[in-house]
Amino acid sequence: MHPQTRTILLTLANLLIPAGILVFAAGFFPYKPFLPGLATHHALAAPVPAPRFDRVVFMVVDALRADFVFGNASGFAYTQRLIRDGSALPFTAHAASPTITMPRVKALTTGSIPSFLDVILNFAESDTSSSLAHQDSWLAQLKAHNGGGRLVMYGDDTWLKLFPGLFARADGTSSFFVSDFTEVDFNVTRHVKRELRNDDWNAFIMHYLGLDHIGHKTGPHGPHMIPKQAEMDGIVQQVHEAMLKEPHLENALFVLCGDHGMNDGGNHGGSAPGETSPALVFISPKLKEISTGRECPTAPKEDFDFYAKIEQSDVVPTLAALLGFPTPLNNLGILIPDFLALWPDAVDRTQLLLRNALQLSNIVKAAHPSPVYANPKAEIACAGDLSSGQELACLWKSTHSAPPSSALEALYKFSRAAQSTMSSAASNYSITLLISGIALSALALGISVCATFSHKALLTPDGVVLALLSVLYAVMMFASSYVEEEQHFWYWSTGAYIAYLGVQNLRSTTPSKSSKSPSKPPRPSPLLPLLTLLALHRLVTRWTQTGVKHTGSPSITTFLTHPAQAPLLSACIVYTYIDTARALSTSLLTTFNPPPFAAWLSALAPTVPALLFRAAFTANDAPELLAWLGPGAVEMLAGLPLVPLARGVFALLAAQALVVLLRRRRGRGAEILPVLRALLTLLLLMQTRATNAPLFVLFRLSFTSLSALLSPARGARRAVKLGIAGLVLGRTAWFAMGSSNAISGVDLSSAYNGVSGYNVLAVGVLVFVGNWAGPIWWAFVCVEGLLESGGRGWVRREWEALGEEGGELGVYMGVLTVFTAGGLAAVQVACTVLRQHLFIWTVFSPKYLYAMAWGLGFHLLVGVLGGLGVWRVGRG
Amino acid sequence: MPSSPSAPTPPAPSDFSPLPLPQPGLARLVSIAYPPLLLSAYAASFSSIIAAPAPALLTLLPLTAALQVFYAVLCLPLSAQNSNSKAQPAKAVQRKKSRHGDWIPRLSTALIALIISLSLGTAVLAITLVLFGAPITTHIPETLACAAHMALLAGVPLVYVHGVDAERWRAVAALLMPMDEVYGAAVGVLLGVWIGAIPIPLDWDREWQKWPCTIVTGAYLGWAAGKALGVGLRGKVVVV
Repeated sequence: MHPQTRTILLTLANLLIPAGILVFAAGFFPYKPFLPGLATHHALAAPVPAPRFDRVVFMVVDALRADFVFGNASGFAYTQRLIRDGSALPFTAHAASPTITMPRVKALTTGSIPSFLDVILNFAESDTSSSLAHQDSWLAQLKAHNGGGRLVMYGDDTWLKLFPGLFARADGTSSFFVSDFTEVDFNVTRHVKRELRNDDWNAFIMHYLGLDHIGHKTGPHGPHMIPKQAEMDGIVQQVHEAMLKEPHLENALFVLCGDHGMNDGGNHGGSAPGETSPALVFISPKLKEISTGRECPTAPKEDFDFYAKIEQSDVVPTLAALLGFPTPLNNLGILIPDFLALWPDAVDRTQLLLRNALQLSNIVKAAHPSPVYANPKAEIACAGDLSSGQELACLWKSTHSAPPSSALEALYKFSRAAQSTMSSAASNYSITLLISGIALSALALGISVCATFSHKALLTPDGVVLALLSVLYAVMMFASSYVEEEQHFWYWSTGAYIAYLGVQNLRSTTPSKSSKSPSKPPRPSPLLPLLTLLALHRLVTRWTQTGVKHTGSPSITTFLTHPAQAPLLSACIVYTYIDTARALSTSLLTTFNPPPFAAWLSALAPTVPALLFRAAFTANDAPELLAWLGPGAVEMLAGLPLVPLARGVFALLAAQALVVLLRRRRGRGAEILPVLRALLTLLLLMQTRATNAPLFVLFRLSFTSLSALLSPARGARRAVKLGIAGLVLGRTAWFAMGSSNAISGVDLSSAYNGVSGYNVLAVGVLVFVGNWAGPIWWAFVCVEGLLESGGRGWVRREWEALGEEGGELGVYMGVLTVFTAGGLAAVQVACTVLRQHLFIWTVFSPKYLYAMAWGLGFHLLVGVLGGLGVWRVGRG
Repeated sequence: MPSSPSAPTPPAPSDFSPLPLPQPGLARLVSIAYPPLLLSAYAASFSSIIAAPAPALLTLLPLTAALQVFYAVLCLPLSAQNSNSKAQPAKAVQRKKSRHGDWIPRLSTALIALIISLSLGTAVLAITLVLFGAPITTHIPETLACAAHMALLAGVPLVYVHGVDAERWRAVAALLMPMDEVYGAAVGVLLGVWIGAIPIPLDWDREWQKWPCTIVTGAYLGWAAGKALGVGLRGKVVVV
């Protein structure tokens, strides 16, 4: 194939990749339409049952897992007493995945199941489409209720973003530094006493973040956990005592709940039992009418199931009934049965449930139209094989034919069926878009395979390795446990690939007795680089335990972050910066030949501020790691202005890169690549987690060994090997830095480096660079390695003369494109085939989000465009 | 196609010859019947290996060792005789003549091969296992037992037929040896061990997924498959 044809085909394939990604995403993550406007009471024969409460205190404790309140090792002594004496009704509220704050707050307020799109929007928080300003919720209902209510809100500013302009008084706290256990909560607590005295509000919302921060930092059994629970229990006591004392709180309902739970590592986002089981407690002296108390503390039925298990969205119709406002339009929750006893009249109970069911039927009929919703007496088939929509229609019909004695039961039956049908995601996919997306990706794969495998460098064992890697990866996408634990695949295949390169090197360096070729100078044995690379690989893979099953288990990171090892960790990090500065000064010296002190000075210019930034950031983010410096030093570091410091480092790095680019000698561009690599390393060090910093030293050593192993390979063959090496080592690096295919794997800690306000683009880029630091580094050095072989003058001509087909860059890009397109198509097919799978929202959807990021962000922007940029600099 | 990119001319297939097939008669019969026998022995102890890997593997070790020694003595040519493989036919004749008298050097060579494999081989293979991801802070007895079994399966016959000649071992490591039942079995053990790691991360929560059950099983199955394939592909050189 002519190199130009190959270029055109590869360009086409790389244009099809984003098209395939976006088309599929449009079908897979549909924008969930919601019914606009506010609900009103249905005009029914019987009047609306009288409300039992007139105001609500809604206290959210972030990540309040059920066992924190109901279990034996709990700090909630006062709340447990309330449960025992019947003033409090306890539940475990099932939180659907994704278990992160914003979608959970949406479920707790609107009663709807947030679409998966909300996960992305959770990160792009300023996006207005995720706002609930125009959606029906119990907040909007209370505000509109009885000619205008007032709402007050203190705590997590997610609420302020979701409900702009809704609150009469509010004080939001952002949860940027998770090391802050006290300030975030004090900022809420200081308002409590005053607001409990005020009688002008009908909803008082608190959202405490400290417990979640403690979970993220030290896990569910950390030393700060019980004291924090006791602190939260103190707030419960304060509110409850005010309810007993203050006349205006006589008819107040107090709700204590978690938005989600946490797993044993203290993280959340997925669907582990711990993450999906937050506590929910309704508190009021009035509840003694219907409860004689429950045993508390108690043991869970299984995992974290304490007491009755309800859906989180059930809070919404329950509040609606108790406070007497219409159930919000998009609600999928069901009135909690326990509360029906508050209405002694059976007609009232049926009325409440009927109104809830009517509201649910409005949603059902939009998705599954049927004549019975207009006329319950309409004739429809209710026998044989029914679709879920038909089944719902039949259940609705039966609610009208049921005798009054079993009306409640029939209504619950319909409501539960409606809830489970409408909550399941299956109804939302656009199969046409899914298939089109797959077709586009498959086309990209076909074209890139034709373009790449037509090169003779691929008709070798290297080509077999690439094909095997892609096929195994594709197969793996259908196994949920391998999607969750994808790191094992890369660790496993990287080791084998290194061994493969070692054997190849050994073969080419083994003198052949019968070879007729003239005696060549003996090559160095590959044994040392092989063993070094394998040992480094082993060290890298042990750096952080990622995935789902073993996340947070002992690793080098957990060892280094132990307070006793803090000085060692600091030494490792400082050494990384010294190592990078040395690489920078050495490469400056060899390239521009300045006086040595000038080279060191220019190397230290960005390194020292970068290290200072790292220290200042750590002093804020994880002060315990710097405690050995003494409190004075930590305070001094924590006081440094982070934003200007980060901006300064970015500016210095950019300026230095620019100067180096402008001053490069014509035709010898490759020699400035080590300088650019060192500058890139400093940039990545800014964005990655502090504990990952030493990995870059390991990467540098790995690359040196890899170069030695690859030294006999030339031209396009070398390009193929480098392409595969970049794939496997880049992926290994990604996982080793703690990333995983779970939503909770995204590291947001460096999202705001140098950014003071909220800027979607800047934050997005910073998050991406932080999370993809390892792969970006490997993508850079692999193109650099590409230029080392045939890239320069006479060596290249010699190899062309020897008949090696050229076009290293094309082949290299072809390898990347084949794998990306193949992996993408596999993920898309898996998501389509398994769209009814139990794990679709917890395993496969997050995987697709990551596949999008890998395809659009990493492959196109970094691998292809960045790679082309580095190549042009190197050749220019 | 050879892929060693630095060599513009394809290298000669190999500087070494494959082992001859075992003599028809008892040797060949044993060579064919042996893998099912050893695999049955392994299968019989499989449940106890799952229950307690390290002690069970250690218990199985003497049996595998004895069988491997027996197999080498009976079916494989001695390393010294094989050192100059170009003169194979003559040697074969010679060996046939002295068939009844050479069992003492055979046995002693096999025992030396056993000692070298169990000591040096186990150490090297254990390090290799760790480099490829075996736990290093825990499960050390298991890893060592696993490496010992690999050393018995792959190492004993290799040392028996190739001795300790550096040049030959370099060819073994570079995959330049022509295929035969011994080399095939050794490559099979390594590949089997590598493939044996696949089921470990699956969420089936089975007892047998624990370290190193799948690895040792992979070694035994890979050994048997590699031995058979080595015979089938006798004389071919792996293309890498």
